[in-house]
Amino acid sequence: MTALAFETFHLGMRTTRRWLRVPANWISVIFFPLIQLLIFSQLYQQITDLPAFGAEGNYLAYLAPGQVVFAAFFAVSWAGYGLIMEFRSGYLDKLRALPIRRWSILLGEMVPLFFQAAAMAGVLLVISLLLGARIETGVAGFVLILLLSGFFGLAWAGISFVPALVTKSEQATGTMSLIFFPVVFMSTAFVPEAMMPGWMQVVNDWNPITFMIEAIRSLMTTGYDWNVIGVAVLSTAVVGVITQAVTIWAFRRLAN
Amino acid sequence: MQGESKRAPVIEVTDLVKVYGSGEKATRAVDGITFSVAAGELFGFLGPNGAGKTTTIRVLATLLRATSGDARVSGIDVEADPEEVRRRLGLAMQTATLDAFSTGRETLELAGRMHRMPFAEIKRRADELLELMGLTEVAGKLSGQYSGGMKRRLDLAAALVHRPELLILDEPTEGLDPQSRTALWEELERISAAGTTMLLTTHYMEEADRLCTRLAIIDEGRIQVDGSPEELKRGVGADSVIIGLDDADGRSEEERIGVVSRHLDGLVEPGAITAHPSGVSLQVANASQAIPALLRRLEGDSITITGLQMTQPSLDDVFMKYTGRHIRAESADEYIPLGW
Repeated sequence: MTALAFETFHLGMRTTRRWLRVPANWISVIFFPLIQLLIFSQLYQQITDLPAFGAEGNYLAYLAPGQVVFAAFFAVSWAGYGLIMEFRSGYLDKLRALPIRRWSILLGEMVPLFFQAAAMAGVLLVISLLLGARIETGVAGFVLILLLSGFFGLAWAGISFVPALVTKSEQATGTMSLIFFPVVFMSTAFVPEAMMPGWMQVVNDWNPITFMIEAIRSLMTTGYDWNVIGVAVLSTAVVGVITQAVTIWAFRRLAN
Repeated sequence: MQGESKRAPVIEVTDLVKVYGSGEKATRAVDGITFSVAAGELFGFLGPNGAGKTTTIRVLATLLRATSGDARVSGIDVEADPEEVRRRLGLAMQTATLDAFSTGRETLELAGRMHRMPFAEIKRRADELLELMGLTEVAGKLSGQYSGGMKRRLDLAAALVHRPELLILDEPTEGLDPQSRTALWEELERISAAGTTMLLTTHYMEEADRLCTRLAIIDEGRIQVDGSPEELKRGVGADSVIIGLDDADGRSEEERIGVVSRHLDGLVEPGAITAHPSGVSLQVANASQAIPALLRRLEGDSITITGLQMTQPSLDDVFMKYTGRHIRAESADEYIPLGW
């Protein structure tokens, strides 16, 4: 194992323990998308009768992919908070005084986010299945959804890391994560594009969250649509490159 | 410099300068510090908050770049090869810097892993340090649940896992209750006795006095004086010994001084004996060494000793002599910019 991988693994295990040992971390992650899934699926169950809704007859099955993505995002939305706390307490300085690569400190924070996002998406997916949703692509599709969710979480974690590293303010970090809400509300998480006003359809056509939701929706409801999955991976990769490039810049700035 | 040891230096700092900010807002936190610490020494920086102590040790710990000057640990330049320097030092910061969600044992194991120790050795060393620090029973508890004293001891243990050549401690007992402070002092004395070179900063005079084999008084970014605590205190003035005498003998002040002077002839200069409301006051170079001889000479029929009091100059007196003021805990905190 290379030195960087060795250090990242052990520091990543530490940040994973930190995450697991505060139940509020993962309970709150599940709580919001689960409430949306349970309440909206009941409240708007007749929305599927509208002609614009299309062929899908079960609103819970329609909602589930969007809430899986929601869970993946929530899992990482406070990722920068832990970094600020450890910066303030001096623990990051303690890590910096160890004979390790500086990047392994950042990677030790980031790599576990893939697994945290995948795990939270998985929990929501299982609950959706228990409530009546289905995965047409079976176990392989289930695993692929987890991989996509982990990738999505990792890419979007920069939304939390960048303000944390730049401002070193918990408030700024929390506020920036709210940017996700309007973006997800202007996606196909709740209604198909045909039901959106014209301007919102334009936003939706370029919305990377829609691409991921549609990829997961295809795996759950129709089958492997590699074009849709490819677009989701590519768009998430673009988001990831942008957010992580800024994260790395902010980390270097803080480190120097 | 005073008190310089002949052993090879573990720390060598020459003309170290650190300036924060620029232009009118520039703050010269460290202003040309030069000192060295030999192997096995317990060297202390004594000074008020804001004196430049923490900035100096942050440079030595490779956490901060100096504006100019040279700093070496075991002969290695801290800027040229910081990773090699980090391998050789253990660091305990001003507050116990621990991951609150790791247990005591996990904290020590992670430190050992990062120093690339074999796992069997890490386990042995963790057991040994937990035992030494009295933390074995709470080794499985999260460090966030520890008391302040326990956190300090765990922090210290984490800094010692890899048997560092140099242990750097920034205000090691800041914020601790007296009992925990004394316990930690005993711990540090044990570590020092085992041969570990230590550099500590403190603004507690009694801490510097008790622990340090040599210390530097630091103020406004400069070392004002350095030496062993005893040397520094002797440099301020003589010790005082007040001998209480029975006033039932009806002697006048002059007669008392005369009698005492005759008994102490050759041991204490006559001019160093003065009257005191309870007897006489003597000025001697080293009171603790002089008292047995003084008592032997004074014992007899003609003098009845009713009491004995010894006062020595304190490190605060030393600080006063070199800076013109007392060390005050309420001084402004040292300017450490956010960012790392």
